[in-house]
Amino acid sequence: MEPVIRFADVSKVYPLRAGDVTALSHVSFEVERGEFIAIMGPSGSGKSTLLNLMGCLDTPTSGDIFISGIRIQDMTDDELTDLRRDRIGFIFQYFNLFPLLNIIENVNFPQMMKAGEVVDETKAVEVLKSVHLEESLHTHTPLELSGGQQQRVAIARALINDPDILLCDEPTGNLDTKTGASIMNLMTELNKRGSTIIIVTHDPTIAAYTQRTIRIVDGRIA
Amino acid sequence: MNAIFWEISKRNIRLHMLRSSLAMLGIVIGVVAIVSMGILGNGMVMLVSDSLSSVGDSVIVMPYAGGGGMGMGGGGRTADLMLTEQNFQQIKRVVAPNLAVPVHSTSERMNVGVNSDDIIATVYGLPPDDVPDMLQLEAGSYNNQDSGCLVGTTFAKDHNVKVGSRISIGSDGQYGTLRVTGIIEERGMSFDISTDSAVVVTDKWFENTYDVNGQYDEVVVKVTNGDTATVKTTIEKQLNRNIKEKTVTVIDSKATLETIYETFGTITTFVSAIGGISMIVAGVSIFNIMMMSVNERVKEIGIMRSIGTRKRGVMTMFIYEAGIIGVCGSIAGGVLAVLAGYGISALMLQTTEYLVTVSNAITIFQGVAFGIVVCLACGIYPAWKAANLNPIDAIRHE
Repeated sequence: MEPVIRFADVSKVYPLRAGDVTALSHVSFEVERGEFIAIMGPSGSGKSTLLNLMGCLDTPTSGDIFISGIRIQDMTDDELTDLRRDRIGFIFQYFNLFPLLNIIENVNFPQMMKAGEVVDETKAVEVLKSVHLEESLHTHTPLELSGGQQQRVAIARALINDPDILLCDEPTGNLDTKTGASIMNLMTELNKRGSTIIIVTHDPTIAAYTQRTIRIVDGRIA
Repeated sequence: MNAIFWEISKRNIRLHMLRSSLAMLGIVIGVVAIVSMGILGNGMVMLVSDSLSSVGDSVIVMPYAGGGGMGMGGGGRTADLMLTEQNFQQIKRVVAPNLAVPVHSTSERMNVGVNSDDIIATVYGLPPDDVPDMLQLEAGSYNNQDSGCLVGTTFAKDHNVKVGSRISIGSDGQYGTLRVTGIIEERGMSFDISTDSAVVVTDKWFENTYDVNGQYDEVVVKVTNGDTATVKTTIEKQLNRNIKEKTVTVIDSKATLETIYETFGTITTFVSAIGGISMIVAGVSIFNIMMMSVNERVKEIGIMRSIGTRKRGVMTMFIYEAGIIGVCGSIAGGVLAVLAGYGISALMLQTTEYLVTVSNAITIFQGVAFGIVVCLACGIYPAWKAANLNPIDAIRHE
């Protein structure tokens, strides 16, 4: 079966006035469907660059990246946007929900981007149920929810379009230990249900939840 | 997709109600300034049009005075600045079948009734048969007798003259007394003869009284088919054959009217353009507010882009926001402009009868449309900027 992510000799160089900065150098790896992976490394090691490339927010300077078998280098901005919408679910450290929309609308947002119109709430309600968010909170705005509840909404939003990959950037970094643990338990549950999850973290306790850890140092896989 | 962006735009405007209201207020002021000035201009044009339109079918022929100029009837009399009987006959021949009316005119002292103060008014001498073709009466009947006369409506009101009143012409009535047989309908300002404050007598009485037989101050040609330009050209060709020594000055009243309307139109445009300055200021305010909105929502834009919103979607969201401000502000401005136009018309033109017209409806529509276009135009760059933010940088933005 085609890996959901394949990096083949990928490098990323940022041209700066003071001189080029190589963020990633000749990185190759694959992520199989259903894997639960942690990407770890010190600050400045290239974790964020790797996350941006996996999330199709950026393209490599050299090498090839395949997402679900699709090579992303030559894609237009709209094609990359659609790929992110359909194949990738993002979960951020600071939840990043839209404060002007209620919970259902937040969760439905990627679905509406896909359908091009307002969609019914059935699937959003279903997904919110799967992340264990009480139904009474569905019409609230994000700021009326606790951090843990907001992160559950963010996870539901990431799941709404049935993505191939969930990309998580320090998903418990803004939560207390207990809430962080419940979120990681939810991640584990989602992985068991078949989701491919990649977590970028520098916290070994979070990495302990995953099946495999990719360590990155100075832009290379260690 | 549009529905959710529409919703976000509405909610963002509600969230920043004060800021959005101030931006709308700018547009309201801009639309009111432009539209009310336009309404005032239209009112001025229509007021003048109503006063002048009755003479739009005339060509006026006057003796050439060495450089043109529009000498309305009623001025002083100079023997070498008169049209001759020969001139009149030539004009009559070339303009046939249109009616050519020879006109005598002078200023004269007169008295109404006994022991009244001296009045100075214009006296016109016209052939009695031609008078019904030139003047309409509001009271009495046309005069065919040398002992009778017609008076203008303003003259009648100012001096309490009625049908049957007697007017002594000349100092101490030296030229005799005439009986008023009819009151002439108001004609307003005219290019041919201005009768509102004048007395109209028969040509025979005028010629006998002032000894001007066969000498005319002007000839008025009433053009029945409306083609005044051709009549003017025909007269000039016939009477001004000698380019070095012209005989007559010919005025096409329709062309002159058009020039006047054009001038008023230009004034209206100019005044509206001054009002437009406030619209530009409002546009700058909208631009500023939209840029603020973009800068406040950089992170939100980054998240939208990262979870699958195309650039066009982000742009649409901000264009909607500018559009909502523009539409609401412009419509409110349009409504207020009608009230302002009413007030300005009442104050400056002393009448509001020209308020409900097609031209004003067009002016209001144009003002409202201009307000909306300005808002949308001022929203385009901020929207474009938002859409083209780098999603990676935008997400990191604090």
